[in-house]
Amino acid sequence: MILAPFTLHRPESLAEALSLAAKLPDGGYDWIGGGTDLLQNYKNRLNAKDHVIALDRVPEMRGISAERIGAGERLAVISESAVVRERWPGLAEAITHVASPLIRNSGTLGGNLLVETRCYYFNQTPFWRGTKGSCMKAESDECLVVPQKEICYAAYSGDLAPILGVLSATLELASPAGTREVRIDEFYAGDGIRKNVKRADEIIVGVKVPAEASTLRAGYRKLRHRDALDYPEMGCAAALRLDPSGRIELLRAATTAVDVVPHFLDFSELMRGQEPDTAFAEVAAAMEERAQPKKNTSMPVGYRKKMVRVYLGRLLDDLRAGRTEGRIPAA
Amino acid sequence: MTSRDSRSPHGVGQRVPLIDGPSKVTGTAVYTDDIRLPGTLVGKILRSPHAHAKIVSIDTSAAESMPGVRAVVTGSRDLRTFGVLPISKDEVALAVDKVIYVGDCVAGVAADDEETALAACEAIRVEYEPLPIVGKADDALKECPPEQKLHPDTRHPSNLQKQVDQNFGDVDAAFAGADHVAKGNFRFIGVTHAFTEPHCVIAHFEPTGRLTVWSATQVPHYLHRDLAAVMDLPMHRIRVIRPMVGGAFGGKSDPFPHEMITALLSRRTGRPVKIRFDREEVFLTNHGRHPTKTSIGVACDGDGKLLGLDLDALIDGGAWGSFGVVTTYYNGVLSVGPYRFDNFRYRGRRVYTNKPPCGAMRGHGAVNSRFAFEVLIDELAEKCGVDAAEFRLRNLLPSNTTTLNGFRITSNGTEECIRRVVEASDWKNKRGKLPYGRGIGIACGFYISGSALRINWNKVPQSTAHLKIDMDGGVTVHCMAAEIGQGSDTMLAQCVAEVLGLPIEWIRVFSRDSDLDPIDLGSYSSRVTFMAGNAARRAAEVIRGKLCAAAARLTGYDAEGFDTRDGHVVWLPNPAIRVPYLDALLEAIAGKGALIAKGCYHDAPPMGGSHKGAAAGLSPTYSFQSYVTETEVDPETGFVKPVKVWAAHDCGKALNPLAVEMQIEGCLHMGLGQALMESFGYNRATVGNPSFLDYKIPGPLEMPDVEVHIVESDDPEGPFGAKEAGEGPLLPILPSLANAVRDAVGITMYELPMTPDRVLKEIEKKERASAVREASEAANPKETVR
Ligand SMILES: Cc1cc2nc3c(=O)[nH]c(=O)nc-3n(C[C@H](O)[C@H](O)[C@H](O)COP(=O)(O)OP(=O)(O)OC[C@H]3O[C@@H](n4cnc5c(N)ncnc54)[C@H](O)[C@@H]3O)c2cc1C
Ligand code: SF4
Repeated sequence: MILAPFTLHRPESLAEALSLAAKLPDGGYDWIGGGTDLLQNYKNRLNAKDHVIALDRVPEMRGISAERIGAGERLAVISESAVVRERWPGLAEAITHVASPLIRNSGTLGGNLLVETRCYYFNQTPFWRGTKGSCMKAESDECLVVPQKEICYAAYSGDLAPILGVLSATLELASPAGTREVRIDEFYAGDGIRKNVKRADEIIVGVKVPAEASTLRAGYRKLRHRDALDYPEMGCAAALRLDPSGRIELLRAATTAVDVVPHFLDFSELMRGQEPDTAFAEVAAAMEERAQPKKNTSMPVGYRKKMVRVYLGRLLDDLRAGRTEGRIPAA
Repeated sequence: MTSRDSRSPHGVGQRVPLIDGPSKVTGTAVYTDDIRLPGTLVGKILRSPHAHAKIVSIDTSAAESMPGVRAVVTGSRDLRTFGVLPISKDEVALAVDKVIYVGDCVAGVAADDEETALAACEAIRVEYEPLPIVGKADDALKECPPEQKLHPDTRHPSNLQKQVDQNFGDVDAAFAGADHVAKGNFRFIGVTHAFTEPHCVIAHFEPTGRLTVWSATQVPHYLHRDLAAVMDLPMHRIRVIRPMVGGAFGGKSDPFPHEMITALLSRRTGRPVKIRFDREEVFLTNHGRHPTKTSIGVACDGDGKLLGLDLDALIDGGAWGSFGVVTTYYNGVLSVGPYRFDNFRYRGRRVYTNKPPCGAMRGHGAVNSRFAFEVLIDELAEKCGVDAAEFRLRNLLPSNTTTLNGFRITSNGTEECIRRVVEASDWKNKRGKLPYGRGIGIACGFYISGSALRINWNKVPQSTAHLKIDMDGGVTVHCMAAEIGQGSDTMLAQCVAEVLGLPIEWIRVFSRDSDLDPIDLGSYSSRVTFMAGNAARRAAEVIRGKLCAAAARLTGYDAEGFDTRDGHVVWLPNPAIRVPYLDALLEAIAGKGALIAKGCYHDAPPMGGSHKGAAAGLSPTYSFQSYVTETEVDPETGFVKPVKVWAAHDCGKALNPLAVEMQIEGCLHMGLGQALMESFGYNRATVGNPSFLDYKIPGPLEMPDVEVHIVESDDPEGPFGAKEAGEGPLLPILPSLANAVRDAVGITMYELPMTPDRVLKEIEKKERASAVREASEAANPKETVR
């Protein structure tokens, strides 16, 4: 496969990146972080643009502190950072679920949050798509999973949105028109094509994590065939705080890869003061209920849905017991 | 070294790192794609997007007139058909009149660069008229008009390619009189080799009129023959070179259309042309393990003595014959060991469907039936209350016997294999005694070590080796045995090092050039160590005779008393009398020139029955294995996670224990792939998952702990006692895991792969059934007190 041709721009600052974007035609360019997602799609000739603006030299997108992670930071660096491991160990561990070590050396946080939605009929070569007449998200105007012309059901398949969502993280967005902040749990909207509230000319500059996050027990669990490389067939995150009597004080849950967007639900108000056992069962059931996977990934739809309850239930039990998956060796 | 003193530090029984390893790990190994001849054109293939369609017209004019395009070729009736088996030469270089699978080759283009070649492919206008698709094996059995047959010339009125019926003893009577019968319908989806190096070929029609072809192949000789047929050239006008090959596993054991297309393009342009596949093309080319439906019945008496096996396999061959006729036999006849029984019935049917062709893959023909058989053996053992390992021990074929269908069994280490893994795994304290969700299972295997009879009916030996030693003392070994990563070059070097008593650094192996290296039929059917090893050993023994004679002349002692060892020619009655190797060599060369010798492996001794198909599965010797696998099964998610495998394999004699261990571990990894997650899926006859992201090969994290037990039965005819270790070790891992799953959670898996969703479904089914049983027992308290 040959990469689709494009002109590469490498701005040295946020201002330069934004002014470049302002000069290029709308929809005529893509931002690129590590390129581990974008370039694969370019090889498959999926919505490739003539211009690509690289963000790897933008200093405003770097840095890891107790409040913020630069969106241009590489996943491996984030998960190995002492600050992250100490304050948000669940995030550090979730990152080890993404792709493979090699890919985490290149992939960035911003790119992960914006990873292209996935579908069996979409993530294929031009030859393959040609044998099926292609689909709405690529060259044609119809969906091959749920035959109709309005909604694309490609699955949101990023691993990190759920854990950052339950930590109540916020995205810093910048565009030629200015900056704004959007909570992650309000960021994703639309369908497999429209995906989120970010405008094409906006950059994710950083991810802010509130101070409270470091007081929560939080984690991520992932369903997939192999323990490396594979995208989630289902992923779930939760954050938990119990009151001194061992009852629920705060409980948030999130899922990925079971719909066109990740799902986030804050159960704190509903469950406050409840016994964990009953609360956990209800939360897991509620998240399963909301899941609506479509038949466009590798595992069967019913199984993926059913696993929300099992994985989330286990995660919540682990959080209560203070257990991790042990994917990060103790310091 | 256990049973014999080695003459060389790198001889028989020594752990010798593969001699081509350093070039691979330093990136200096030359694979086909690394070869850059001046003026090479890039070849690309236009492939069919239809599974079955008439070609109404092909217009190549726009492509041909593009700047940088040097040639476009399309199919023609004038080109001979070809195929690895003489009985099913049904393949064409380029589609003629119709296409029969998605990916079928329609046109070939040679251009100055890749972009131009791809653009030219897009510029070719092909008008298709779709035909009904034969998608499922069952559909292929239905009678149909000739135009709906993929290959209209076959003799069946359907898309059936080959039917095998074999019957020994009286199966019906045996089953009627049996105390216990187990039956099952098993389903196996296809799997593919997934080797690292994509297919790649360079063809160069030289100005002299000779054609040289470099190709990533494991069968250079069959490629040579079929190139001669398709290009209509005598074989001596063709030179086939096999550069370093990055894995094959059977996936490079057919002569392929792309090799023919490259040669045609080179003939047209007079320039070297290279075609290198992308990963999707590798998947489209497939030739992997056949999707198969296996119906099987096994019967035994009350003491657990096996009485009979009743086997039926419906094998989905895809678009071409390939090795399929052999596959059809192997699905049956490779079940006649390692157990003895007197009644055997087999019906095998291989059909053509509009899918990428299937062919030979590691464990060719034996894997699926073996799985079904071994799983049902556990069921039988349970029915008659005999431990599963003990049941197997009671039913073993002995050494030096003949099977009911005439296979000659010589060395046979199954019993030791079973005893070793049973003991090492602490089987007796684990089987049936582990907590719910953890289990342990056993299974055996049986495989050929080369085919006793040659594919082509001529008198060319199966393998020939030439040796040459000049005054520098280095030993040159020539033999076309295809090194494909399995270690055959190292094996040849070791055999020669052993005979001549030299360190391996003195040996150089040339196994790649048909102009220089004598014929070996290729790396398939686990034949190379047995056959090429014998050829090399015999050639080296001729040279040793000459060295001993020279030493005798130099010392005055009798030649018969001399032997080569540790860099010397030593007089055995008194080892103090010795001549350094180089001195003996110079004496041997004096006045005569370089030492030259050849050795060959021609044929196994006459063997086999006289029934139809008696030759299929005949091998000069067989390998045996037994594995115990311990696994975890998560009853809530269905995930199967094997934790440890005790793997015993009888390879006759481990010429190189390191290489044997690697083969066993590799087999095990590959078998686990088929058992747990690999599936060559289809989306309406299009390969569903043609990438390494979507075709799920287990990674390092999925690998269990493996404890290898090498069992040495010392084969009477193998080189230094050796037989195969490359394929048989794949067989037991799948059923031993399934049997462990059964031990863990009480379900039988009749379908592979054992994906978590399938396992969970079975667990839930079982739980529902037992809930119903409990409920009805509670409702009828009297009935339960029987
Ligand atoms: C084999 C393989 C397996 C994978 N497995 C997983 C997996 O298990 N889980 C998972 O989550 N991902 C997986 N990925 C996807 C990908 O590697 C990761 O999500 C990675 O984090 C993406 O980051 P990146 O910087 O490389 O993104 P890029 O490819 O650079 O960009 C991805 C998208 O985000 C946009 N973008 C990137 N950065 C910004 C920014 N700062 N502001 C605005 N837009 C931006 C790009 O325009 C593009 O649309 C896998 C990829 C491969 C090739
Ligand atoms: S869900 Fe439908 S529209 Fe979206 S990528 Fe898949 S086939 Fe295309």
